[in-house]
Amino acid sequence: MKAVGASLPRYDGIDHVTARSRFVDDFSLPGMLWAKAFRSPVASARIVRLDTTRAEAMPGVHAVITHADVPTNVVGHQEVWGIAPDEPLLAEHEVRFVGQLIAVVAAETEAQALDAVQAIELELEERTPFLDVRNAWDAGRPQVTPDGNVFFYYPDQPQRQIRKGNVDEAFAAADVIVEGVYRPGAIEQAPAEPAAALAIPEPNGRVTIHSTSQALYYSMDITARHLRMPMGMLKFVGGTVGGGFGGKIDTKTEPITAVLALKTQRPVKWRHTREEEMLCSTTRAAWHVEIADAVTNDGWILGRKTLTLHDAGAYMMTSAYACSKHSFHLAGAYSIPAVSFNTFVVMTNHVPTAAMRGFGVTSASFAVETHMNRIAQVIGMDPWELRLKNANRVGDSSPSRVVYGNPSTVSTLLAAAEAADVVLPPDERAMTNAKREGALLPAHLVEQQREPVTHPLVWRDNRPALEGGV
Amino acid sequence: MKLVVNGQERLVAAGPLTPLLHVLREELGLVGAKAGCQHGSCGTCTVLIDGEPRRSCLTPVGAIEGASITTAEALGDPANLSVVQAAFDEHYAAQCGFCTPGMLLAATALIERKGGPLERDEVVEALGGHYCRCTGYVKIVDAVVAASRGETGTRAPSTLEIRAVGS
Repeated sequence: MKAVGASLPRYDGIDHVTARSRFVDDFSLPGMLWAKAFRSPVASARIVRLDTTRAEAMPGVHAVITHADVPTNVVGHQEVWGIAPDEPLLAEHEVRFVGQLIAVVAAETEAQALDAVQAIELELEERTPFLDVRNAWDAGRPQVTPDGNVFFYYPDQPQRQIRKGNVDEAFAAADVIVEGVYRPGAIEQAPAEPAAALAIPEPNGRVTIHSTSQALYYSMDITARHLRMPMGMLKFVGGTVGGGFGGKIDTKTEPITAVLALKTQRPVKWRHTREEEMLCSTTRAAWHVEIADAVTNDGWILGRKTLTLHDAGAYMMTSAYACSKHSFHLAGAYSIPAVSFNTFVVMTNHVPTAAMRGFGVTSASFAVETHMNRIAQVIGMDPWELRLKNANRVGDSSPSRVVYGNPSTVSTLLAAAEAADVVLPPDERAMTNAKREGALLPAHLVEQQREPVTHPLVWRDNRPALEGGV
Repeated sequence: MKLVVNGQERLVAAGPLTPLLHVLREELGLVGAKAGCQHGSCGTCTVLIDGEPRRSCLTPVGAIEGASITTAEALGDPANLSVVQAAFDEHYAAQCGFCTPGMLLAATALIERKGGPLERDEVVEALGGHYCRCTGYVKIVDAVVAASRGETGTRAPSTLEIRAVGS
């Protein structure tokens, strides 16, 4: 524990400030080919004809790959959790979003590769895209997948649902019902370094891949499954990543360059343009969150109902996970004893969405905190007082029945008030996270309280240890 | 055509419309300038052309025949850091490192041009065309202000003491 409290040099600090850090795009090899992508110009279409003959004959071109060149073209990002694979690496009979990969060229220069991409012939039968997440169920809406627009968590249950307490009683007992709709938009992670990969075929049949992945072994697994090769045949080189923020778990450049390298037996590099990074790579999802709260005039939240529609985009990626996280956080940092949360993964013809810094949670926090202000406005209460009253205390339990042992909501709120130069009344400033009693323990919060199972951390022989345990 | 790159005369074979960025990275093997956007928007490709910070992705090499180019590789090596490099390291101004070469060159040119000490506003103004997606900029401005005062060696010495948790 010598590092805690010390100001230590970054392990890569000197390399960064002397421009010696080597990012993927900084590597080049003799005989290296450049890859360029041919992408869907429309959001939804059936592919009628794809002809790469003319492109293959262009100067400097060594290969043009389509879905037929990928050993396992459809691989899921969350198969390990039982989410069926749905996303083709290269489009097969249809395209579902603008910028979806259809074919990739490898040529001796980047300019030659780009020229060849423009010589690829594509005939599409356009379909009406489905772009508004709110209307997923409406009759006559365009269907994004053959199975409809909504993902099913279980065969008979599409939504991620959370149930706790008696919501009907809570709403019957309320003085006022406060409703709100919140729609945080999609956000591109926009790292300074665009995604890139350099795949090098090795003489023994192995492939070395320099990757910008922020999750190297995750990307290695996905690449191995696309190539239908054991992971032992792949060597991934990474770790120097020019920003990721979630966007660089998206594993496309690695398997594409690997397929091209194996086909051409040359090193192949592909770096996204900024346009590809902004238009075609995954984003943080857009969300539609509806909240209805059963509230008393003195500022207690007796119950909450929610409906969330998550705009997953055209393929599943990590959406099921994002919606589970979202659902667990829909009470925010507050104690609400009766809840009914329903969160749906809705497929649209937007770019597929995936990770970005706390994805799933930020949309819940934005909706919940904005809603707290709305409640305060409706009942005419100071928003700090409303938050401090309902803030989690020791022994309060979450919507998924996690009992809080040492929640930090009260101390965080008091620190935020101080930082914002908000002077709170003395009784609020004196609040702590101590177990509820007296005026802070109204009848409706008694039932949800539990004895937290705590294992206080103690220091023994300069190591953290559990009291009474190892 | 000829360029003077980091003090050395170099012959360039690329055509006159080739961006300086590609000449540096692909022909001369100097990869300090990065291809962040290739649109002149992000600042990661910044180099000094006759001492002025310029976007190498937007500079056709034919337009700067004979010019003197400085890339981040020439600022200093690990054993002999420039004041700006040392300040960036000490203030943790380089996080992922991708924007760092451009930031270093812009900061170096700013201090060269205006001298020191600099106000924070002047630094923000001069580095306004450089995106950083990691740091939130505060540490970068801290570093440039410190460098403009000639302050290096400011990293708090490691205490290597254990602080008791919760006390």
